[in-house]
Amino acid sequence: MESTTANIPTWLGVAASATLVLIAIVISWRERLGLGREVAVAAARALAQLALVGALLLFVFDRGGLPAAFGWLAIMVAIAGFVAGGRARGIPQARSHAWWGIGVAVTMTMGILLALETIDAVPRVVIPVGGMVVSTAMVTAGLGLQRTADAVDDQRARIEARLALGLSPREAFLEPYRTAMRTALVPAVDTTKVVGLISLPGAMTGLILAGVDPWDAIRYQIVVMYMLLGAAFMAAVLSARLAQRSLFDDAERLVRTSH
Amino acid sequence: MPHTDGPAPELFTLDAVTFVAGGRPILDHVSDHVHEGHVTAIVGPSGSGKSTLLRMLNRLEEPTSGSIRFRGTPVRELDVRALRRRVGMVAQHPAMLTDRIDDEVRVGEPDLPDADVDELLAKVALEHIERERRPDDLSGGEQQRLALARALAVGPEVLLLDEPTSALDRRAAESVDAVIAGLVGMGLSVVLVTHDLQRASALTHDALVLDSGRLVDRGDPAQVTYLEGG
Repeated sequence: MESTTANIPTWLGVAASATLVLIAIVISWRERLGLGREVAVAAARALAQLALVGALLLFVFDRGGLPAAFGWLAIMVAIAGFVAGGRARGIPQARSHAWWGIGVAVTMTMGILLALETIDAVPRVVIPVGGMVVSTAMVTAGLGLQRTADAVDDQRARIEARLALGLSPREAFLEPYRTAMRTALVPAVDTTKVVGLISLPGAMTGLILAGVDPWDAIRYQIVVMYMLLGAAFMAAVLSARLAQRSLFDDAERLVRTSH
Repeated sequence: MPHTDGPAPELFTLDAVTFVAGGRPILDHVSDHVHEGHVTAIVGPSGSGKSTLLRMLNRLEEPTSGSIRFRGTPVRELDVRALRRRVGMVAQHPAMLTDRIDDEVRVGEPDLPDADVDELLAKVALEHIERERRPDDLSGGEQQRLALARALAVGPEVLLLDEPTSALDRRAAESVDAVIAGLVGMGLSVVLVTHDLQRASALTHDALVLDSGRLVDRGDPAQVTYLEGG
């Protein structure tokens, strides 16, 4: 059978592609954009980071097995929670809310996909698929927390007007919460709507590059889109609900946030 | 407005109420009381701590030290939602929370029958207004009165009003004052914050004068020492 596997670039090919980085540096220099140094550093970082990840993945695939794969996911969740929580400085314990939101979203999503045997329980699958889930959960949890923090600033008077009528914190916060969640989640819904029309998404692109039949590649991509939708909603809603609880004290007062 | 004979029972009792924010004392050992059935004005220049004191009465703020009692019970021992339903509040620029007049009245009491909504709107002189209008489109005075109806819908025993008329022109302010006077006539107690005691004095039984967080005078609104805008 004719090999359908595409020609993966050799290290020589990688070196040749660095010509394009040189072009970027030359443009920066000619146009006096002052970005030459940064481009060089970025390119070097990409090389070093990916080489490190490649070596680690090689090790995990060959020797680590599933425990190492889940450990890998846990580290990704830790980093993602740190990043997403950092977006909402006005919210007490924002990082903890982000960790829980992302952690539960990733556990549920991967748990369902593995339990239903939609994806294979091998490191080669768990790590890249889990990585996509963590990344989406991080973006939506961060956006949701950020919008929640904004609501506390912008809508304090509306929230307090409801508290003053004897409503519970949950009821008083419902309107800003819903607005925050819609803002955080619309991009995930829109991405799903236009998938394939505007861009060929990463997983599908990767599979096609690796020589997989497009009809097979899209099945994987459909699973990816569905799981990312679920993960986005779980991560955003759970972290925002936790944030909401920390925004009111024992006397059901909206805490003062200082940015 | 007739004063009651003899001392009216104490509605709120303040005992050495102190509030510190950012290392700065906003209220400094304020001790006093608010009488049942009275209109009590808290007056003082801006930054004197009067709004903070008002917000403590329904626990939107908590004293750093000292205590507040409502009908003799420390407010901290009362269920906070129940307290807030008994002690209603209307802000200086009340936020309109819904898209319809009748929904606005029902924010705190979603199951309120139409007849009660009509009655409340009549109390605040808004009986003529179409129920499907957007509250945000009403004039300032109408919004203030709608906010009063919204607060009354949950059946409070006291109303806390923060500068209820200061953002309004004279006619609108008079319409709000007339509504407040009517409510007091029906037995509601009112605590109102104002920087303009002269305007409020016709309504007011007692005035508490704050300056830089300290209670500097109290008593008959015509007699207290208060330098306006000071």
